[in-house]
Amino acid sequence: MKKILLFTYLFCVALSINAQDLVTKIPKDAKAVVAIKGSNVTDLVSVAEFENSKIGKLFLKEMIKETDGRVSNINELGIDLKRDFYYFMISDSLSLKHNFLVPLKDKVGFEKLIPERQKKKIITDGDLSYFVDSYDNMVMMWNNNMLLMTMSQETYSDDYYGYNDYNVEELTEEVVVEAVEAYYPIMTFVERDHDFGTIIQGSVVTHSFEFTNTGDSDLVITDARASCGCTVPDYPETAISPGQSGEITVKFNSKNRSGSQYKTITLTTNTENGVEKLTINSYVNDEETIIEETEIEEAVIESTEVEIEETVIESTESYSNNDDYYENLRKEREAKKLIADKALVAYAKLTIQGNYANGSILKNSKYVKAIGNSKDEATAWIANLSSIYSDLLQQASYGLGPNYLGLYDGLQNFYGDMSLTSKLNFEKTQVSLKTIYTMNSDMAKYTEAMYNGKMNSNFFKFFNEDKMLGYFSVNMSTQGILEAYPEMMSKMFEGYEDDEVAAFVPIGMRILSLLIDEEGAAKILRGDMLFVLTEMKERELSYTTYEYDENYEREEVTKTKKETLPGFLMMLTSSEGDLFHQLMKIAVKESRGEVTLNANGIYQLNTNELPFALNVMFKNDAILIGTSFEDMVAIKNGKFNSKVGGKHKNLIKKNSSAIYVNGQEIASTFPREIMPNDFKEKIDFIAENTEDVIFKTGKVKKNAMEGEMILNTPEKGHNNSLAYFLNMITALMD
Amino acid sequence: MPFKIILAQSNQDLNMKRFFNFFIIILSLTLFSSCFEILEEISLNTDGSGEVLVTFNLSKSKSKIASIMLLDSVNGYKVPSKEDIGKALKEAKNHLKTIDGISNIATTSDFDNYIFTISCDFSSTANLDSVFKDLINKHNKKSKTNFNTTNFSYSANSFKRLFSYDESIKRNFYKLNSEDRKIFEDANYTSIYRFENEVEKVTNANAKVSPNKKAVFLKVDLMSLILGEKNITNSIQLSK
Repeated sequence: MKKILLFTYLFCVALSINAQDLVTKIPKDAKAVVAIKGSNVTDLVSVAEFENSKIGKLFLKEMIKETDGRVSNINELGIDLKRDFYYFMISDSLSLKHNFLVPLKDKVGFEKLIPERQKKKIITDGDLSYFVDSYDNMVMMWNNNMLLMTMSQETYSDDYYGYNDYNVEELTEEVVVEAVEAYYPIMTFVERDHDFGTIIQGSVVTHSFEFTNTGDSDLVITDARASCGCTVPDYPETAISPGQSGEITVKFNSKNRSGSQYKTITLTTNTENGVEKLTINSYVNDEETIIEETEIEEAVIESTEVEIEETVIESTESYSNNDDYYENLRKEREAKKLIADKALVAYAKLTIQGNYANGSILKNSKYVKAIGNSKDEATAWIANLSSIYSDLLQQASYGLGPNYLGLYDGLQNFYGDMSLTSKLNFEKTQVSLKTIYTMNSDMAKYTEAMYNGKMNSNFFKFFNEDKMLGYFSVNMSTQGILEAYPEMMSKMFEGYEDDEVAAFVPIGMRILSLLIDEEGAAKILRGDMLFVLTEMKERELSYTTYEYDENYEREEVTKTKKETLPGFLMMLTSSEGDLFHQLMKIAVKESRGEVTLNANGIYQLNTNELPFALNVMFKNDAILIGTSFEDMVAIKNGKFNSKVGGKHKNLIKKNSSAIYVNGQEIASTFPREIMPNDFKEKIDFIAENTEDVIFKTGKVKKNAMEGEMILNTPEKGHNNSLAYFLNMITALMD
Repeated sequence: MPFKIILAQSNQDLNMKRFFNFFIIILSLTLFSSCFEILEEISLNTDGSGEVLVTFNLSKSKSKIASIMLLDSVNGYKVPSKEDIGKALKEAKNHLKTIDGISNIATTSDFDNYIFTISCDFSSTANLDSVFKDLINKHNKKSKTNFNTTNFSYSANSFKRLFSYDESIKRNFYKLNSEDRKIFEDANYTSIYRFENEVEKVTNANAKVSPNKKAVFLKVDLMSLILGEKNITNSIQLSK
């Protein structure tokens, strides 16, 4: 019985916790989500610990200053640090909306932060309080549970807040009159965007865009083109008189398409801009089931759009004189702003309610798969890069349209279904930031070929991990690049509208791939490379100075001094030893003494361009370039004392690229005697407190490529790596 | 898309370059000692004419300079290229050409050892003063300093090297950050004046007169000069 009670209790607690998690406020179709796991962070470092750290103290000081002492510690902020913080972005063709969700313990603490003058603007609606900053297109809305901040960023090029209209005031009177006299037909659409929602792959859907000519002259449409062969527009071929209506029918064939689709229809017209644009969106589902779609949110947005269009109509009525013109412009701007503010508030309310018909982001299988129930302190996820690009392109290519020359479809080929996930994690002795790119199969195929290099195992015979300061490895495949590149180019331009270009590119690329002998090129440089920062070495350096005889006649003398210098060894795989020797022979002949061939068979480059001499040789299918002559000779004679363990072998071999920095070694072998005193202490501190740093980019696996930065921290003296960071900053700031 | 791939490839190159730069920075950091010498040699004839040779010797820090010159900028300062240095020397030469009484102008530059010289003949010490007159006047006006425009004088068998210290030197020096200040720590300034007649008396206590009494030698570390602790002003009385 007790067990059942306990279970019920726990269940209720779990339920209430779940209900409180703000993730449910994020709609399923959010394009980007960033989460900071409050409880994971506060488990690592308590609020008190943070407040006592250097950063915490600075933060508090700043906060006390900002709020005139109303808030003196973090608890008073009213923010619930045990819960998670979120940022999410949604976009449509009109705007990007950035949203921040902050968990609150109560609204009292938060309201203390608001300056007095701002408090007057607060509107209360039930348990909701909010204010609108219409200049920044921002609304801040909160209740006892949470705070939402939404900022709307316009992407629609015909800026409907009318800031652009201010430019008009700089125009001369004549220009304005001219503009007024030019009676263009005006195409007013009920809607310019249509979302077909989720459709089954292979189905054909049709939509009619209704419009009215609200201008003062006949409207003539001469052409209608879509950004993709899959979309066929139909338009009236006769002139539309002022006041008359018509429709553009758009047929979309989803055969061979999948995922988010975004297509533009460009109409060539005799309107002021010469072109008018329409867009259709859809999500093509290639699976069996389709989720029912309801459109609460979209309905709201659509209705405001209609209102906007209406105000535009009013504004284009003829202007009898300039004063009226400006007065109308001002009114128009204010009206637009009011409507936009209202829409933003409505949107914020919907978000706080979070009752999405499609469900929250937790219903988005891609998000759940990417982020899951991660223990990471912070995560970031970007859904589909191509849809964000398309929104940005719409903004950037005004007048040309997002699908200028069909380029967008090329983009779609490569960026379609590409997503990005980042995870920040603090473990006991390491901090890691992991980033995963997921790409579509086309992109994955090419990327895999390019990064599928094979690291030359002989490299490990040429350096010693105990003494190195760090390395940088690249594991590309020259053959893969040369093979994939032409194919990618022709794929890229597949959807290109310009017939000549479309025909030329694949042919050109084919010729290129025939001309280049991939295998031959790969023999010269296979694509794998390793650059090792070898040990610090003392060397003697001669320099020129002066001595004076008893009559102070000067005499140039050469003296020597000792310098400690780091060295490097660069290794490249090549199976063309003969070619290497031939090239070096030419170098010896042509370099006027800068390149010489040593008796040991090592080429030496001595030039005043470099502060060190370079030694070059060919050994075991590798070209070696390094600063240490002794090491080179030892390698040549097979007497080099090499040592590379499994950790580094794996890091170098299994990744397409890796960077390793041995902080410990750099800090401890740094020539201290020539360092300034204040610097010495910091170096000592780092030497005691850092292990090493690793940056790596993995190979392509299952259409995903993973990059990771790992900072290893020492075990002693702190509970975990986040606490370590705070300690470290405290120490270094002194 | 291909652009992305090109980017990815050039990114690798960029990473490579960045990594190499990282190496160079470690290199230049290990070479803190950045000493240099400035030599000012004047051979004065009894008629007040003579020749002057100024030498900048950065040989002792040549590996540091060579590594710095591989970078585009260091500590926020643009690193001059060989061409920039050559151009500066040429400009100095052109400036000297415009001054009356200056002839036989020659410059040398040695990028193996980083030694640069400029020399010329003059017909009177007033010609030498004219070299910097405009520059000093301009600086005094702009920074409200009080540097004198007469640095050399010769009359009645008395040769004078004048230098008026101004507190602004110290002020400007302390405006540099501690890393940049280090550049001057191990640097020194040497002047050697040679005469046809014998030296009877020198006023600068740090100056040494050669046994044959025909040369005066003065070596000052640049730091003391900057801080105003030592002075290079000297009045040399010659026999008739």
